[in-house]
Amino acid sequence: MSSPEETFLLECGELLTSMEEALLEMEDNPSDPDSIGAIFRAAHTIKGTGGVFGYDDVEAFTHIVENVLDKVRDNEITVDSNLIAILLSSCDHMEVLVTKAVANEDISDDDKVVDAGLRASLNQYLGVTAPGTNTESTTEIVEGKSSVEIENTGSMVISDNWHISLRFDLEVLQNGMDPLSFMRYLQKIGEIVHVTTLHDDFPSLEEFDPELCYLGFEIAFSSEADKEEIEQVFEFVRDMCTLHILPPRAQIQHFAEVIQSLPEDDMRIGEILIASGVLTERELSNALNSQNKECEGVEACTPTPIGEVLVETKVVHEEVLNVALSKQNKGQLSKSAKQTVLRVDADKLDSLINLVGELVISGATANMLSNNSGDELLIESMSSMSRLVEEIRDNALNLRMVQIGETFNRFKRVVRDVSKELGKDIILNINGADAELDKTVVEKIGDPLMHLIRNSMDHGIESSADRIAAGKDAQGNVWLNAFHDSGNIVIEVADDGRGLDRDKLLAKAHEKGLISDGQVLTDHEVFRLIFEAGFSTAEKVTNLSGRGVGMDVVRRNIEALRGSVDVDKNEYGGTTVSIRLPLTLAIIDGFLVRVGDSSYVIPLDMVNECIELEKGERDENGMHGYINLRDEVLPYLRLRDYFDEPCTQKNNESIVVVKYGSNKAGFVVDELLGELQTVIKPMGKILQNVKGLSGATILGSGNVAIILDVPNLVQRAIQSNNVHGIKSGSENVVLH
Amino acid sequence: MIKVKKKKTGLCEVDLDGELTIYEAASLKEELFKKIEKCKGVSINLSNVSELDTSCFQILIAAKRECDKREIEFTMNSHSPAVLDVMDLYNMGSYFGDPLVL
Amino acid sequence: MAKTILIVDDSASLRQIVAIALKGAGYDVIEGCDGVDGLSKLDGTKIHLIISDVNMPNMDGLTMVKKIKEMPAYKFTPIIMLTTEAGADKKDVGKAAGVKAWMVKPFKPDQMINAVSKLIMP
Repeated sequence: MSSPEETFLLECGELLTSMEEALLEMEDNPSDPDSIGAIFRAAHTIKGTGGVFGYDDVEAFTHIVENVLDKVRDNEITVDSNLIAILLSSCDHMEVLVTKAVANEDISDDDKVVDAGLRASLNQYLGVTAPGTNTESTTEIVEGKSSVEIENTGSMVISDNWHISLRFDLEVLQNGMDPLSFMRYLQKIGEIVHVTTLHDDFPSLEEFDPELCYLGFEIAFSSEADKEEIEQVFEFVRDMCTLHILPPRAQIQHFAEVIQSLPEDDMRIGEILIASGVLTERELSNALNSQNKECEGVEACTPTPIGEVLVETKVVHEEVLNVALSKQNKGQLSKSAKQTVLRVDADKLDSLINLVGELVISGATANMLSNNSGDELLIESMSSMSRLVEEIRDNALNLRMVQIGETFNRFKRVVRDVSKELGKDIILNINGADAELDKTVVEKIGDPLMHLIRNSMDHGIESSADRIAAGKDAQGNVWLNAFHDSGNIVIEVADDGRGLDRDKLLAKAHEKGLISDGQVLTDHEVFRLIFEAGFSTAEKVTNLSGRGVGMDVVRRNIEALRGSVDVDKNEYGGTTVSIRLPLTLAIIDGFLVRVGDSSYVIPLDMVNECIELEKGERDENGMHGYINLRDEVLPYLRLRDYFDEPCTQKNNESIVVVKYGSNKAGFVVDELLGELQTVIKPMGKILQNVKGLSGATILGSGNVAIILDVPNLVQRAIQSNNVHGIKSGSENVVLH
Repeated sequence: MIKVKKKKTGLCEVDLDGELTIYEAASLKEELFKKIEKCKGVSINLSNVSELDTSCFQILIAAKRECDKREIEFTMNSHSPAVLDVMDLYNMGSYFGDPLVL
Repeated sequence: MAKTILIVDDSASLRQIVAIALKGAGYDVIEGCDGVDGLSKLDGTKIHLIISDVNMPNMDGLTMVKKIKEMPAYKFTPIIMLTTEAGADKKDVGKAAGVKAWMVKPFKPDQMINAVSKLIMP
């Protein structure tokens, strides 16, 4: 099935087409109600649905279109060819907005000009000069008769809990609203300390109608929620109940503090009380109504001050009011509107990061020159500048960091659907959704995670019946955890299923010839076998997994992101797969080597060790292309030959032993130059198809160094040395 | 929904079962009060009540009030989880005064 | 057992995103694409809540609500109306039809779940 966003895109396309047709129809027949209806519905749906998706640009613009259409429908605006032209352009513009929004792109400057122009034209029809924005409350509720009815009996009780006094109207049950649901919801936002259910209004048996509600409630409620939030609990029954919410004692103190701390502004008493959370807007408007009513028909009336009205009606405690009043009497001060989030074009960010990369490189050049000059003052000032450059680099990279939560949340749905498909009861638990990593990494991690989660659900977690038989909870758990660990992010996919079966894995490995008889492997080593190509132990192949490509591909995808993946048993007896990823793809810790006259960079985390290749050994094994490394076969690749470097024969060469997954290989190089941290530059189009290169970087000396594509080269080393009798590349192979 | 056994002592044992919601409320009320009209005591077994809403809960209150008025015994027993949940939310256990097995 | 919600809206993507949110929160969801289709889903299946758009082709939301209120098996089912029109006149008609709960579009899926759980827990 396509994603909701894709559906939305298609839907908008259809709606805009029909809107366009209807507009053209209207040109000939301006008062055709069907056309107006179709146009209106298109705008209505695009605005409403676009808003739900959070497409603000779409929503804001369509809102204005809708307002104009509203007036057309109410015959306040006559349709002329000018309006139709504007609406047709609006259609086109909405299509642009929707497409960009779905593609998650910002609108271009040209589009912004169109936007502003159309808004101005549309607003002319609305009689507005300033651009209109949608200020509707998103949880607007039925206005109704006053639900803060004044009860004059009883005095205010002050306690440490909120006090909610609730009387329902008779018909509440018939409207499908059950007081029980509100009680249950209250428990979600706090603790119901005590309930007194009042049933004094019960009629005689003859008159008693169970479909009517005769109950009332006095609730002591302990919660961190504010008054507005508590009142919102009853949003759907507001015109069917009488509701009083009294703040706890602690809150009165709190309100006083809040009022004191409000930015000094020319606020009215009601606004002060609302801003501090003492009063909700609804309560204020009710009080204002009763204040106004007082004066109806009376000339030269001085209404009771609003504060007194509020205290009288038990809406506000007097103490709180006094604090607010004193606040109101203080002077005015400037407003402090703060913008905390800034939207930046992703391209601008990328170009900044690129520049920072250049800065790092030229910094390194300057550093090298200063070191060569031997001028101590210069060296010192250069080193402090390098430090600043590094900080700038880290900060710039930070700008691209996004939370992984959004990616994680997508899997809730997957887990739900897949568990249905499999007939299992499985829930997804998410931890560390706020962990951040580079946007590019986030985008690429989705597929591997999907595979791992499906695997866990399919193979890991048993059917409910099996789980109960094993003494487990019938409901299976899958965890998605993310956390930072020394410059990396670790993402874990864990389950509390049956775990990996050591014996089955071993048997399979033998069958596939991945290990030899008599070889002793630890549990962990056995588990890691699942990452080998073509390895699947599922007896039954389902359409979800079990084709034996899964884990192998996952491993390769992760390693392509310069990450690593591991698997082990967890405390629940199930399996945990941990993925370790670098926080960014733009910077790499590399190992610099020289081959001929050129420099090459090998990603440091893939370098295992460096060994000398003796001249004697080289000659002896020259034909084979492999050496005996502590009784292991190590295939190697001469980078000189591979990259066709001119031959400057030396006595000793070095082998850099690299490891990719469980495969090891050696690269023969002329000289080891040491570690460096460097910025990856993507290869240009011409070199993109050259195998064995993954990028380039510029060295401090200004020379270019090639970053090696280790996975590819390791594969090459193994293939070209696939000598009979040796299962090349597998680190666990023992020579007989 | 409702079954009533009348014992020789005049005590009526009422079994309520299933989903007791507003859709059933009107007929439940009518049937219950018709069947216990002549009883000298009412004991309601709630073990098979799978769902209870406010509307049917009010019928239990009405039954208790009616029995109190007629000065006959009214008890409820074997509260199902659904019933206990409502009793708990409304804090009405002490009103009915029956031992609740939690 | 999961509570079942019927969502009636002519926007397939809105239904889809609301359904995903509600299913994620543990509800079962049935979808209807307009008033007529919505009514056809009321075939005896137990429905705990109905969420409906107002402006739809074939049969609008308020007409559908009026018909639901006449169905013995569904007349007490709570209904949340979705509307982008905050106009009071629509709501008066809605009130007459028996709609008590309104939600103004757009809303965030979280707000929808929150609103729904005020009426029925999953």
